[in-house]
Amino acid sequence: MSSDFYKTSILPFAGIIIKLCRAYTNSQEDFEDYYQEVCLQIWRSKDNFREESQWSTWVYRVSLNVCLTLLKKKKNNVQHFVSDSLTVEETESNFAFSDESLNLLYDAIRKLSEIDRAIIMLYLEEKSQKEIAEIIGTNPNNIGVRVKRIKIRLKKILDGKIN
Amino acid sequence: MEKSIESIWKEGFLKSDALVAPKINNLYSQKSIHIIDKFKRMFKINLIAIVAFSFVFLIVSFFVGIPITGVMFFATLSVLVFINKKLLNGLDKIDKGVSSYQYLKTFNEWIKKQIAINKKISTFLYPIIFISMVLGFWFKDAEGMPLGERLVNEILIGFPDIYLIYGIPLIGIVIALLILVLLAFFGGRIYKWDLNIVYGRVFKKLEELMTDIESLRS
Repeated sequence: MSSDFYKTSILPFAGIIIKLCRAYTNSQEDFEDYYQEVCLQIWRSKDNFREESQWSTWVYRVSLNVCLTLLKKKKNNVQHFVSDSLTVEETESNFAFSDESLNLLYDAIRKLSEIDRAIIMLYLEEKSQKEIAEIIGTNPNNIGVRVKRIKIRLKKILDGKIN
Repeated sequence: MEKSIESIWKEGFLKSDALVAPKINNLYSQKSIHIIDKFKRMFKINLIAIVAFSFVFLIVSFFVGIPITGVMFFATLSVLVFINKKLLNGLDKIDKGVSSYQYLKTFNEWIKKQIAINKKISTFLYPIIFISMVLGFWFKDAEGMPLGERLVNEILIGFPDIYLIYGIPLIGIVIALLILVLLAFFGGRIYKWDLNIVYGRVFKKLEELMTDIESLRS
């Protein structure tokens, strides 16, 4: 991957990539692995970009797919070693932002399903329903309702924790 | 008043230093180590399989009456395993602490050396295996007489004028020599074909990774 490509085509979207990777990982090591794998896959798949959507949409979609794939792989690996009674994925992270409210929000987001996590993150990044639907690969009409439900769920989880 | 999740999100990232991207330099380090470790594991398993096979074959060969084949197989494959084990020890000396590119480059050099040595060995290995098979069956006991001699006697009944050298039909010697030459000639290619079946995917990944890193460095 040339450093030019990284600077011009990935770095402008590093913010959302970082936020997405944080939502699917619980440790700094995993986060760095996910981030690096996302960058690598964006670079590798750049020739498949057909300009039917915006480059940013493409970047988000690849990032999300990579995060979901890595998460699935991790779950499969863990399932080989843990008994059924243990939870496969921990929601409490061992890294912390300097803002405590943000930490609590992230812990709450990690309690959501994998797709709901992506939807709420994209919503919080002020992506339009159409763009969220395009990235997730679903009908734009469902996004609004789903965001409302996710927000209610998050509020329930966060109830009383944040003032 | 309770904060909305939108404001927690916005304010949190305004205050936070969380949006620092990890260094991209380490992108390939884990992948390099993973690929090389995978190769090492496969290589070790391969060597163990050769040892196990030659040992089992040695025992079986005594039971089926071709001990010469078994002993020659065992001796040849033991030498092969010994040489490759020595080569593998060299691979363990590669420092994992160096950069991914340097690590892969050193590994690539090791692979080239390993392939070159094994290609040379294959020039002798396949002919030796063929000779061991021929000798094993030639001296196999067939009702009180070596199978080879019995075969020559049968041929002499059908072709009494056939030319013999030390009691072996010339045509048989010519065919055996031809096979030996062909095996010696194509030994290297057979080895590379065999190598690709076992390690082809690992080599392909290694090549892709090297290209990626070279592109990153350019």
